[in-house]
Amino acid sequence: MTAEPCRLRVRYAKDGRLAFLGHLEVMNTIMRCVRRSGLPFEVSNGFAHRMRIQFSQALPVGASSQGEYYDLKLPYAPDSDDALARLVEATPLGLRPDAAVVLPRKVPALEAWASMSRWDVLVVGGVCSAQGFLKKVDQLVTDDVLEYLRGDKPRRISLQRALVSYEAFDTEEGMRVRLTTRASEQGALRPAILVRAAMGLDPLRVCRVAQWHEDTQGVRVDPMDKRRCLVW
Amino acid sequence: MRIPREDRFADIEPLLGMVERPSRYLGHEWGAVEDQEGPFHACLIYADVYEVGQPYLGHAILYNELNDQEGISCERAFLPWVDMSALMRERGIPMLSLETASPVASFDLVGFTLAHELICTNILEALDLAQITLVAQDRGEDEPIVVAGGPSVWNCEPVAPFFDAVLLGDGEGLLVEVAQCVRDARTESVPRSVLLRRLAQIPGVYVPSLYEVVVDESSTRWGYAVPVEGSGAPARVLKRCLPRLDTTDPVAQRIVPYLEAVQDRLAIEVLRGCARGCRFCQAGMTYRPVRERPVEQVVQGVESGLGMSGFDQCSLSSLSTTDHSQCAQMLNSLHERLDRVGVRVSIPSQRLDSFGVEMAAAVGSSRRAGLTFAPEAGSQRLRDVINKNVTQDDLERAATNAFKSGYRRMKLYFMMGLPTETDEDVVAIPKTAERVVQIGRELFGPRSKVSVSISVAVFVPKSHTPFQWQGQLAFDEVRRRQQLLLHAAKDHAVRISYHDAEISLIDAVLSKMGRAGGELLMAAWRKGCRFDAWNDQFRFDLWQEAAAQVGIRLEEVASESYPLDVRLPWDHTSPGVTKGYLQREWRRATQGETTGDCTRHTCTGCGVCPTLGVRNELAATRS
Repeated sequence: MTAEPCRLRVRYAKDGRLAFLGHLEVMNTIMRCVRRSGLPFEVSNGFAHRMRIQFSQALPVGASSQGEYYDLKLPYAPDSDDALARLVEATPLGLRPDAAVVLPRKVPALEAWASMSRWDVLVVGGVCSAQGFLKKVDQLVTDDVLEYLRGDKPRRISLQRALVSYEAFDTEEGMRVRLTTRASEQGALRPAILVRAAMGLDPLRVCRVAQWHEDTQGVRVDPMDKRRCLVW
Repeated sequence: MRIPREDRFADIEPLLGMVERPSRYLGHEWGAVEDQEGPFHACLIYADVYEVGQPYLGHAILYNELNDQEGISCERAFLPWVDMSALMRERGIPMLSLETASPVASFDLVGFTLAHELICTNILEALDLAQITLVAQDRGEDEPIVVAGGPSVWNCEPVAPFFDAVLLGDGEGLLVEVAQCVRDARTESVPRSVLLRRLAQIPGVYVPSLYEVVVDESSTRWGYAVPVEGSGAPARVLKRCLPRLDTTDPVAQRIVPYLEAVQDRLAIEVLRGCARGCRFCQAGMTYRPVRERPVEQVVQGVESGLGMSGFDQCSLSSLSTTDHSQCAQMLNSLHERLDRVGVRVSIPSQRLDSFGVEMAAAVGSSRRAGLTFAPEAGSQRLRDVINKNVTQDDLERAATNAFKSGYRRMKLYFMMGLPTETDEDVVAIPKTAERVVQIGRELFGPRSKVSVSISVAVFVPKSHTPFQWQGQLAFDEVRRRQQLLLHAAKDHAVRISYHDAEISLIDAVLSKMGRAGGELLMAAWRKGCRFDAWNDQFRFDLWQEAAAQVGIRLEEVASESYPLDVRLPWDHTSPGVTKGYLQREWRRATQGETTGDCTRHTCTGCGVCPTLGVRNELAATRS
């Protein structure tokens, strides 16, 4: 334990029925977990005295994840194993953390930094095969701009920018799609939007399997890789 | 044959992606009791959506108490929102509990909270969605025993046909006795009719089917209830009363919701009952006597509750927290301990006459957002009629103290249509608010951003209050006075909002009617009325159609006044306050005479203490 202010970066899953929590609900739940854990978090100096915590990019409601992150600002660096154990003890099963690392205070904010996501999507029903799906996505990427509705609001996203790679396989369970997406200031591509545009139906399951940062040379940086994070 | 008890979450899981706020249906929150082995199973239902019902403290108290009993398990259920209930009906899925996703109809005991009159159609909706027979007397031997309790049991006659039993007063101890009685009767396989007679022998339990309604020249047109001959039911059911609050766990709320609840904070009950004697206030009459929780228990409860839950806000809840004899001490102690960890402590509203300099500092040592006061009436004359016991001086002093403590915004609650109200009283409402704004400007300068919001409810006469004989102000007159109010406000720093007159009308109808109100409720629900407390769901046109169908005029029912000696539909249930006291208070109201508070002055003779064998239990002397 050192007296230096720091960030505790925590990786956690979002699964089971808690996949149906919205991002705000996840944030509030985790802040309550932190309070229950007894870790010495910092609070803002503003009117509301909020906990100083940052989260990685929002997951859509209903999507599960094997790799979500938050950075908790602490007045001094704890033993990361002890901190992880305390957080595990205070967190519901569906959001349970599995790794924690102490980082210096001055690393970039998670949300914009960890912009790359890999997704595993299961689609059941419909008449389209994996091959047909890939053809349709090829066409959508060629057309580039995908227009869709989010609630009542019309949205646009450039697939050439947001969709990094895509694969699809026919399996006994249904069609499995693996996507890599890149978020930018223009927004992030939700897998369900792509599947809906290509096949006209919603996926049965969406899971974010990983998030990472892409450096200027296109090299992948794991958010828990302390040495590489420090470079940024 | 009862619906089997089995986990049916898999039935609703595919629907979660299709509905608003799926987190309402997930359960398994932090602090929920996962181990539900029974073998006796109870389910507590708050017939509104999760985020409205989950913070209700009464539920939390009873949930803990039942789950602490050997052999008894208790789960929760909330009414699904309209999108979910439509999908569930389409697929034949019954209403489910949260903890084990078991059908509500598979439970031994189902308990509803009567939180307010406008929840009544939701109770029918919940019973129907649960596939439980709506009318208690038609229920099969195997169906659950359906009971109700809560703040609005004091004229439960309109909903009485739907309940096997209604629990009056404090639920601590009472619901456990009811559960044990049902369990024992089920073990002995006694018929339902015998079980109900046994329930009626428990003090505080009203079994509606054991009473018949008599309409005669001594009653209103809604009649009065008398025990069926030979039923053994008492002629008058007295409420149950917990003698002391300090014998209970201060931390009742152990479940931490995932979604933002309407009161998204830890609530600690610091005080039960209020002896101020406001003549319009049903809770003030029915929750007597006053029982305070000592400051040490509150502070300890807040600290342990925050540690267990992780909440970052805490509310010291009661009918009138600033009346607590140790309120300032409590707030100061909590602010000192909790400010540095970003925890905010709040109290529901402040009394004008107890908001001194010290209290102003204590209420919001960390934040200076806004304050809420409830003068209830704009003129001193009308405040005396309702026995509010606050003066213009109190108001001005409280406003000055609040502004000097750094507050810039204030919210004031008023009522319209109180007995004896005149146009001058209505006009006095915005004038009062303007005076508060003026005080702020005198302190901060004419261009300061001082603002006052006023919220004006329509008075609804409630049972067991000194105004129970009064009719509601006629509907058209309510609208005229609302316009008068709007036009009387000149200062742009005063913002006015008022309650929907149509919703208040239905509230009054259900507060006045007797058992015949059940037919109105059934007709309204069948026409599609539900979530009546939600402005966007409330359908006055359907209520009017329902009223026409059962042959009544809503406005006429609501505005009907009765003589003081008439037998009322709720006379067979009693919170301990005597009718003689209520009649005396009504007479004093008409003469503009006020009555004191027995926690500060002498006994006012309400009758609660001798009738129930209890007394006020204060932690210290009240100033």
